Amino acid sequence: MTISGMTHEEAREALEALALDALDASEHAAVLAHVQGCAECRLELATLEADVAQLAYAVRPESMSDVQRVRVRGRLLARAAADRSSSSPVMPDTDVRRVPAMAKSSSRQSMWIALAASVVAAVSLASLFQVNRERETIAAAYASAAGDRTATRASLDSLRSAMADRDKLIANLTGPDVAVVTMASAGPQTPSARMFWDQSVNAWTFVAHNLPKPKAGRTYQLWLVTASQKISAGTFSPGANGEAVVRATYALAKDSLAAVAVTDEPEAGSAQPTTVPFIVGMKSAR
Amino acid sequence: MPPSGKAVHAGPDDTLLLQRMADGDEQALGTFYDRWQPLVHGVVLRILRQRDDVEDVVEEAFWQAWRQAGRYQTGRGSVQTWLLTIARSRALDRVRAVTRLREDPIVGENGELVVHLAADGDPSMNTEAAERRSIVIAALADLPAEQREALELGYFGGLSQTEIAERTGQPLGTIKTRMRLAMQKLKTRLQVLREEAS
Ligand SMILES: [Zn+2]
Repeated sequence: MTISGMTHEEAREALEALALDALDASEHAAVLAHVQGCAECRLELATLEADVAQLAYAVRPESMSDVQRVRVRGRLLARAAADRSSSSPVMPDTDVRRVPAMAKSSSRQSMWIALAASVVAAVSLASLFQVNRERETIAAAYASAAGDRTATRASLDSLRSAMADRDKLIANLTGPDVAVVTMASAGPQTPSARMFWDQSVNAWTFVAHNLPKPKAGRTYQLWLVTASQKISAGTFSPGANGEAVVRATYALAKDSLAAVAVTDEPEAGSAQPTTVPFIVGMKSAR
Repeated sequence: MPPSGKAVHAGPDDTLLLQRMADGDEQALGTFYDRWQPLVHGVVLRILRQRDDVEDVVEEAFWQAWRQAGRYQTGRGSVQTWLLTIARSRALDRVRAVTRLREDPIVGENGELVVHLAADGDPSMNTEAAERRSIVIAALADLPAEQREALELGYFGGLSQTEIAERTGQPLGTIKTRMRLAMQKLKTRLQVLREEAS
């Protein structure tokens, strides 16, 4: 069978295999070449391909495990969000429908979800190593504060307590009750943060690095985001080194946390977020 | 957001979801994924078997759906079928990238098929998909075993006719004939699905 000169009859006999994509390479090219110039074969091929497509239904649907399902969903939405924000309305086949005004008018809620999704790729399970590093960071801050006569007793206590938290986390991290949220920033700088949620005692510990100082009259506010509400976990300001540790106690059903976020708010804090979060993270699947 | 589209007639919804996906709405992708991941995962799992990159392939299939959502044409079959075709292609890419001729048999010693030909309803399928499934399974069950084998080695195994001939120890011409006959019978049996789609 030669590449050129395949007759209609020869091609016709191979259409079924072509539809199944089961032809050997050379034959595949020859049949395809004929089909391109033959309306009858094209039509027949389209029908056969539609039938082949139906064969997928013979397979029993089977959901992925919860961990896989959530993981893939998170990655997909993160990619999609990144894809959307990176693709300017230049693509010829989409620019007509890509109406900027609509994006602008989309509700704050959807913006939140989009932002939450956009950092999922950065989420990973906590490693002992990471927690250890955080403890070292806090320990260093404590050592330097302890040597500083102007450091208040309260700030020393707070750091010591944060260290104790870390110690406890190190001890408990492999336990079943600790969920970890790794957070990433949407801003140009690269603040990073992690939220530790000890579900057995409803304790939340938030550790952030590289935070810029809030503007005058402003503060940062930490939020626990569920499907239906955003719960304030308190306001905070980072220290001179850009580090912050926030602890909160709040009982939340194990599966209800959708994301954790930090917004820039007026100094007194807000009942509900008034700005788009600049740090946000979603719960790791585990 | 229905978790997995229980008994939902998803036809028009899916088209709308694709439209929103084409417009860059990633929440639509989330809904679309929630609805169809069991079906996509089933197909990918069937083709890749117990391989550890099943998850990646499922992701790639939905990613392609996201990227190509604007190119889906209503007249050319249901959204689900379109999605499953993508899923199969991505899974076969993966299989073929690793090895043209896989070692693990798709058809067992006695020629029994690994696809379970039982139209057991699955709660994660909508009625339309479940209906489709029973029609396809009935059509496959009606094929003579050797024709079904040729078809499945091609469809799920991603094998070429020559490879199927090698695998089964049959002459290439025999495989070609079996595959043709199988497809012709399917064409008759599945006509009802084509009519529904258009
Ligand atoms: Zn022709």
